[in-house]
Amino acid sequence: MEISKTPSSKLSTPIHRGLIWAFIIISFLGFLDATFLTAEHYFGPLLGCPIFGGCDKVLISPYSAVGGIPVALFGAVYYLVVFILGVAYFDTGRSRVLRFAASLTPLGLIASLWFLYLQIFVIEALCFYCLVSALISTLLFILTLLLRRKIAVPASSLLE
Amino acid sequence: MQYNRRRAKKRAILWLGIIALIGGAVFGMIKLAGRTPASQTALLASAVSASDWIRGNRDSKVVLVEYSDFQCPACKIFYSLLKDIQGKYGDKLELVYRNFPLSYHADAMLAAQAAGAAGKQGKFWEMHDMLFENQDIWAGQSNADAMKTFTSYALALDLNIDQFKNDLNSTEIKVKIEDDSQGGIESGIDATPTFFLNGEKLPPPTSYGDFENTIVQAINANP
Repeated sequence: MEISKTPSSKLSTPIHRGLIWAFIIISFLGFLDATFLTAEHYFGPLLGCPIFGGCDKVLISPYSAVGGIPVALFGAVYYLVVFILGVAYFDTGRSRVLRFAASLTPLGLIASLWFLYLQIFVIEALCFYCLVSALISTLLFILTLLLRRKIAVPASSLLE
Repeated sequence: MQYNRRRAKKRAILWLGIIALIGGAVFGMIKLAGRTPASQTALLASAVSASDWIRGNRDSKVVLVEYSDFQCPACKIFYSLLKDIQGKYGDKLELVYRNFPLSYHADAMLAAQAAGAAGKQGKFWEMHDMLFENQDIWAGQSNADAMKTFTSYALALDLNIDQFKNDLNSTEIKVKIEDDSQGGIESGIDATPTFFLNGEKLPPPTSYGDFENTIVQAINANP
């Protein structure tokens, strides 16, 4: 129990605190983005081609679902797990939580790069929400790299 | 001890807040995705006239006007659906095709011109069908290659090629397409395809069955 009383050193530096906040907020935005795309798949009207650019070609392409499950749903689950890990690290300061998150974010980055490749070279159309997701995955990967450089320091609660 | 209790309380609040946030986010996104566009009750600004491309029963009391783009993937899907509906209710329905080529579809305008040029030789609908059937082939082509492809379609339809090429580049055809688009803008359309059933804009269909039902209801209400 004493761990919560350990004076925070690098963990409570403004930069580190800022990185964790950024990680939590950005992963939540990723969750919103992917959840919106999933909801569009299940509850939205049949997509037309909007006047200003669009996701139509990407979102009705065969690459948008695997076995009938929209890839956006996998994305939503991924962002949710990463978001919860971010909050758990914020809560407990345990480095293994961050290490686990850090083992997931490269997968998110690889998936995003694959979808970006499909959009540019195979489907030949770009989807705004998918690009947002790619940007978020990249940011999360970079943030975990930056955060991992700090986890050698004993963790303590950031709530204090 | 008091410190630990205070911390436990803070943690409980944090995690309850997170659960509420996730629940709220899921609910909000479902509401946002399932929203009905505000402009759904818009009316058709320009009435159907002799200058329109029409098929089906011209005396029908049920008129379905479609604003479409030959390069729009969703329009291709609705093309198949409309074909099916036309097969079932063709004599009870008047179908009108109006052009609304989107600027980011590089070959859409040229395709609309090709259909218009075929129409000058009485084969608008044949070219219309051919363009949608083969959308995957020409949609990614450069304008020059798309032009060659459209010319090959004109040949396949036994059109006079010189006349086809002349008509395709004629001001008359281009003005007709621009008039169509302008009418679409005045009718407040924001995506293709957009349908107007007896002058009233249809909300984006949530399924094929939903779209067909709407049309069948109109047919039953106007025997």
